[in-house]
Amino acid sequence: MDILIIMCLGILVGNRIFPKEKKKLNEYLQLSCTLLLIFSMGVMLGQRDSFFEDLASLGITSFIFFLIPTALSILAVYFLTKRFLQNKKN
Amino acid sequence: MVILTIIALLLGILYGISGLDLAAVSLFTSHTDGILYILMFSVGISIGLHKGILNSLRQYHVKIFIIPFGIITASFASGILCGIITGYPLNLSTAITSGMGWYSLTGATVGNLAGAEPGSVAFLSNLMREIFSFLIIPYLAVKCNNYTCIAPAGATSEDTTLPIIMKYTNEETVVLSVLNGIICSAFVPVLISLSYHFPLFQ
Repeated sequence: MDILIIMCLGILVGNRIFPKEKKKLNEYLQLSCTLLLIFSMGVMLGQRDSFFEDLASLGITSFIFFLIPTALSILAVYFLTKRFLQNKKN
Repeated sequence: MVILTIIALLLGILYGISGLDLAAVSLFTSHTDGILYILMFSVGISIGLHKGILNSLRQYHVKIFIIPFGIITASFASGILCGIITGYPLNLSTAITSGMGWYSLTGATVGNLAGAEPGSVAFLSNLMREIFSFLIIPYLAVKCNNYTCIAPAGATSEDTTLPIIMKYTNEETVVLSVLNGIICSAFVPVLISLSYHFPLFQ
């Protein structure tokens, strides 16, 4: 929950006092933090004794976690927009 | 961005396998909570900077919530389905699918909350979603309707996948795509945290 409180504080700062011209700087900060966290995750993965054995199962699990949400999102949006928004084609 | 994050992941894995223990690297890897807090604060600033969203809300009214509602509900429901299929705890599986394609933030957040393995699944699955979006959007524009092109893109529909949505749809869809991206992106950290700490799923 502390993550949400911190994010809300960020929204408040962004909306009230953060200068718009410093937007790029904020994006660099986001990128740096993200890269550091991904790197740390890689370190934790690499330090596992069973890393190479786990690699194949990680791939299959990730594929399942990609396929189902993507397919269901497409179906949900298709039927909702067909029902509630005007259906326009190019 | 994609290349940078993959390089960061690979460098981390190589460092982990090598067995090295450099003080400068340990300083970062042992303070991931603090880095995550800075990241969330920064994400909040980005959301707060979108001041034009209120005007768009007035213009499109409830219409702008239909697409994000579909994506968020479907992503959350598929988290439950994925949990049943893979045997992952439901709090974790719903947290992973709450990423809606924002692979960097989801990978980093889930990795920090639940460990390296779920974090990697979150990273890879959301990265696959973004890459797959580039391939499927042209097909969806022809076979379904323009609005459906926003669905696979999820939270990325305001940035990385926007150019391809612009190419294959119309102006109204592009506006709805940007608004959908802003709404979904704002919900990603909220949903990850709520899903992971949801008492019924633990």
